[in-house]
Parts: sequence; structure tokens; C-alpha cells
Amino acid sequence: MISDTQGQPAKPTTKYRSQLRIYVDMMYVIQRESNQAKPTRILYGANLSHDRLVKYLEELEALGVIQESGTEDKVYGLTQKGIEFLNNFRKVESFASAFGFKI
Amino acid sequence: MMEFIACVIAIAVAYQAMKAYKLSKEKTLLYLNLSFVLIGAGLLVDALSSFIVLLAGLHRGFFYLFGVGYTINFLAQLLAYGLLVYAYVHQTRNLTAATEALAAVPLLFFERNAVTELILIFLLVYIAIQTSINYSMNKNTNSMLVFGAFTSLSIAHVFFLLYTVKPLFYPFAHIAQLFGFLLLLAMLLRVNRPS
Repeated sequence: MISDTQGQPAKPTTKYRSQLRIYVDMMYVIQRESNQAKPTRILYGANLSHDRLVKYLEELEALGVIQESGTEDKVYGLTQKGIEFLNNFRKVESFASAFGFKI
Repeated sequence: MMEFIACVIAIAVAYQAMKAYKLSKEKTLLYLNLSFVLIGAGLLVDALSSFIVLLAGLHRGFFYLFGVGYTINFLAQLLAYGLLVYAYVHQTRNLTAATEALAAVPLLFFERNAVTELILIFLLVYIAIQTSINYSMNKNTNSMLVFGAFTSLSIAHVFFLLYTVKPLFYPFAHIAQLFGFLLLLAMLLRVNRPS
């Protein structure tokens, strides 16, 4: 742990991802995997712990932006609502990025 | 006419920034929205006051409207660019206190002058530098358009500054200002094109 001159732990300089950012990262992974992503792919792709992955997958399903499919192995795909949301988000992200603002 | 066009573009940028804020709840995007609302409102008031003076056949009795329009436009731009600088700097200072301090300044109507233009140039150059850093990191067309827009707006205010010495620069200033807003419009159209 890096300490400052007073012996206190230094504050982390990296900004934590917002919940929206995590949702979008997960949805990007699903889209990249041709709309058929296994949970492990999403876990690695969106850089999440297992507990958080399960929690966020449930939340995304409740929001109706992803849906579970597959009989033996669990596979997640984007719904039409999810695809539209991601398209809107991409526009907003591109607009904010043009000014140098991060979402 | 040029100011009316610039005003419409500023409102369009503000609308896009509001859409972005509603989706992401990112405060910097709210500042971006507020700053472009202010820019649009300032340009509209300035354009309307000039239009009224022209409609009155440049009657001397209406000349004070130039001052009123310019003062409101200057204050709106000062707040708008100040907000943008604040968004870039990300300082933790109390923004409300800063706004109240600005409101406490006695309101005097003034004509276009070197001091007000220098203040706006200072703010705009800072924003142009920030957008140039963003462009150098991103290397994408949208960032280049935003950088170009703020550079053009900085040049416009340099021309407005020179206009206080030589009236010849007045049309160049308006052309540079309009060009800056057209670059922002180009960025908006690129962002919103169907994927």
C-alpha cells in the first residue's frame, strides 16, 4: 500500500466505474460475442467478480435488456430493447468523448 | 442572421448534452448543457437587440439596446465558458458561491470593449487547449471538430477585440463565430447519424 508523508494510505487516483458503465461493458461483451455470451466470457470481458456478475446479470434481465437462453449452458443475448439502448449509449458516449468527457 | 444560426446550433448542442446527462447522470454533461443554453440565450438576446435597433431605422434613441444586448451576451458567455472551464478543471470549489459572487457585481451596461473580450479569449483559449489535448489522445474526427470549433470561437473573439480598434474586423469576427458553430453542428450530425 502506498502511503503519504503522514503515514496515511494514499487515496486511489483511479475513478470507480459507475453502475451504468458496468452494465454497458457487460452488454458490449455480449454484443461482441455475436449476442450469445457465456457468463465466464462476460465475467472476464467486463472485469467482474463472480458475485457481482450474478447480481448485474439479474438486474440487466429485470431491466429487459438481456435475456437468458440455451438449454444446457447458460447463454445471454441482447434483447431489442438492449440493442436500442446500446445504440443510444454509443451516440451519447461519442458526443461526450468529442468534448473530452468520460461516461 | 449569423447569430440566429449560431443560437440554433448552440441549443441543439445543449439538447444533445441534456440527452447525454439524462442517460448517464454525469455532472460534466449537465455543465455542458447549461453552458450551451447560456451561449444560445446570449446570442439570441444580442441578435434580437441588434434586430430591434435595425428595425427602428438605427434611431439614436434605441442605441442603448446594443449595450443591453452585448452585456447580456457577454455575461451569458462568461458564465457558459466559466462553467466549461469548471467542468474541465473539476475543481471541488463551491460553484454556487462563485455564481452568487458574480451576481453581486453591479450590473452596468457596457459596449463591446477590450477587457470583456480579453476575458472571453482567456476562457476560450483554455477550453481550446483542453479540446486539443483530447483530440491528441483520441485522434477521432468528432474531437477534431470540437477542437476546431473552440479554436474558431477564440479567433472570433480575437477579431471582436481587434474590432474595438478597427471596425474592419467585425464581419470577420461573425464569420469565424458562425464557422465555429457550424463545426459543432457537423459534430452533432456525425454523432447522430444512423449506425
